[in-house]
Amino acid sequence: MAKDTPITAKSDSTGDDGRLVRLYDHFRREWQIYLMLLPTIIWFIVFLYKPMYGLQIAFKDYSIFKGVANSPWVGWEHFQTLFSNDSFIRAVKNTITISFYNLLFGFPAPIILALMFNEILHASYKRTAQTIVYLPHFISSVIIAGIVITAFSPTVGVINAVMGWFGLDSIYFLTQPDWFRPIFVGTGIWQEAGFGSIVFLAAIAGVNPSLYESAVVDGANRWQMMWKITIPSILPTILIMLIIRIGNVMEVSFELVILLYQPATYETADVVNTWVYRQGLQSGQYDLAAAAGLFNAFVAFVLVMTANTLSRRYSRTSLW
Amino acid sequence: MSGVNLSGIVKAYGALQVVHGIDLDVQEKEFVVLVGPSGCGKSTTLRMIAGLEEITSGDLIIDGRRINRVAPKDRDVAMVFQNYALYPHLNVADNMAFGLRIRRMPKAEIKTTIDDVAEILGLTPYLDRRPADLSGGQRQRVAMGRAIVRHPKVFLFDEPLSNLDAKLRTQMRAEIKRLHNRLGVTSIYVTHDQVEAMTLADRIVVMNDGNIEQVGTPMELFNNPANTFVASFLGSPPMNQMKGTMTATGATVGDAEILIDGASAANAGRDVIVGIRPEHVTLTAQGPSSALPISLDLVEPLGSEALLHARHGDNAMVFKADTNGDISHLSGVGEVHVPSHLVKLFDAETGQALTLGA
Repeated sequence: MAKDTPITAKSDSTGDDGRLVRLYDHFRREWQIYLMLLPTIIWFIVFLYKPMYGLQIAFKDYSIFKGVANSPWVGWEHFQTLFSNDSFIRAVKNTITISFYNLLFGFPAPIILALMFNEILHASYKRTAQTIVYLPHFISSVIIAGIVITAFSPTVGVINAVMGWFGLDSIYFLTQPDWFRPIFVGTGIWQEAGFGSIVFLAAIAGVNPSLYESAVVDGANRWQMMWKITIPSILPTILIMLIIRIGNVMEVSFELVILLYQPATYETADVVNTWVYRQGLQSGQYDLAAAAGLFNAFVAFVLVMTANTLSRRYSRTSLW
Repeated sequence: MSGVNLSGIVKAYGALQVVHGIDLDVQEKEFVVLVGPSGCGKSTTLRMIAGLEEITSGDLIIDGRRINRVAPKDRDVAMVFQNYALYPHLNVADNMAFGLRIRRMPKAEIKTTIDDVAEILGLTPYLDRRPADLSGGQRQRVAMGRAIVRHPKVFLFDEPLSNLDAKLRTQMRAEIKRLHNRLGVTSIYVTHDQVEAMTLADRIVVMNDGNIEQVGTPMELFNNPANTFVASFLGSPPMNQMKGTMTATGATVGDAEILIDGASAANAGRDVIVGIRPEHVTLTAQGPSSALPISLDLVEPLGSEALLHARHGDNAMVFKADTNGDISHLSGVGEVHVPSHLVKLFDAETGQALTLGA
């Protein structure tokens, strides 16, 4: 007969010691995964965390001869300069306005595209259409800008040519401040909506097919299925993408603005990043540019935190 | 009459035919279970009835009307899916109301219907919960509720219990049976679980490789399987099947002779398959029977009974024996007794059941 043995916890596996043992065991067991993670961690440290050291020049009278450490502190002076600078205030307003338009028109575009692709039943037609709309994403922004500049050219542009057929006068669109934002937002949609739709198509592919079959038996048509099943099912993905997008509100596509704007359109086209580029790199005011960049990052941080909190509270979906 | 009639139903995907012209008549209020191994065409048949798969040829008639080309929504059928197909973003009440709203039923009527069905299914406390907050059994009930609120002519069930654990499956099986008795709606139920088929069905349809092998009540199929496939599919463990040769009094299996009622010299010498249900043998002779010597491999205790894994010559077989709370007496078993009236015979070539003296 076996004697009854009382069950007791091992003393070395409880408390802090136990946690350390478990951690050690975990690393021993999973070291390959951490090894694979290492390059990414190094990349983050070298390119994202180490440069943060230089952010202090936003609060210093920076001199390249004295270096970051030896330049004298000036407190909030650069921020006061920024907010008393009309061109910076204009750049902030332009950034927010362009981002708002991007969010309003550019964010739904890939969702609508994905929903449309999902409704196409003919497989080869669907593949061809997808390839065509994905293509601009793989073209360099310089080429894209070149195409746009040519298309809107007053002499050889196709847009003005079409307008000419209807007896309209040609317009030099890219020198007109009123036309910059529509052209910029439209170009962004043309370039990225197709590729952006992949995320939503993947989300749609993950919807349980029996939900649609059940709805068919219940009598739903395709339109009802899209509104009552597809969109609610991909809503968590939509919200996650929206949060990420809101986090990037201050990051209007720098390259494309630089390539498309000109002094005549600064009024509506100059954004924080292009302002920082001109002030920081071209005029050598690195400290002021660092202050503007820090302000940009702070606003983005507040926005993404707010969006994430609201999303978690109202839809149970969040980034973290 | 909301019966369902399938006549020469064929389903083909291009050149590949998966359902080969089946005929089936489901009576009004009847509970029919389609059972068979994976890939036998049972779910495809159900989906053709629902309208989720096109019928390649044949006639599908519900309530006296040919509905081959009628849209699923106009067939007046409701389907319960294997994975429940509950809308994750809707609560229980909205899930159940989905089909009614699509059909533009007045709000007050929807509420009354939902409340009534929720009461029947014990879902009233959960009407505001989303599917993710429900247990497997509760989700299953919601799926059935969504079908019931429609008051359809026919219920279609596609392996609705296969995602539940064994205990819950037993409970839900009983609930489905009670519900059918209460509502009296014609039901067609697909499963690969022969226990579900036996316990739920008024009639069982055994399918194999796109064909119907046999249709009958559970006990008809159990007692008189039409062929070796049905014999091996229904029953747990399945019927033991051994090659043998007919004699004037029975059949020889290995070096033993098994007495069989109705055997005569007319059939002597015919090659057959001898079928013996595991539960039909006894350890001592009771009435007309013959002793079958066995060498015991393994005894598996199940509680009140045990499974004896044994061999007779080249034939591996399984028998059931009562334990009476102790299995020690089973380890020395060297022979079992086969009652002569319970032995089944099948043609050795075709596998079809043989009736002696007919």
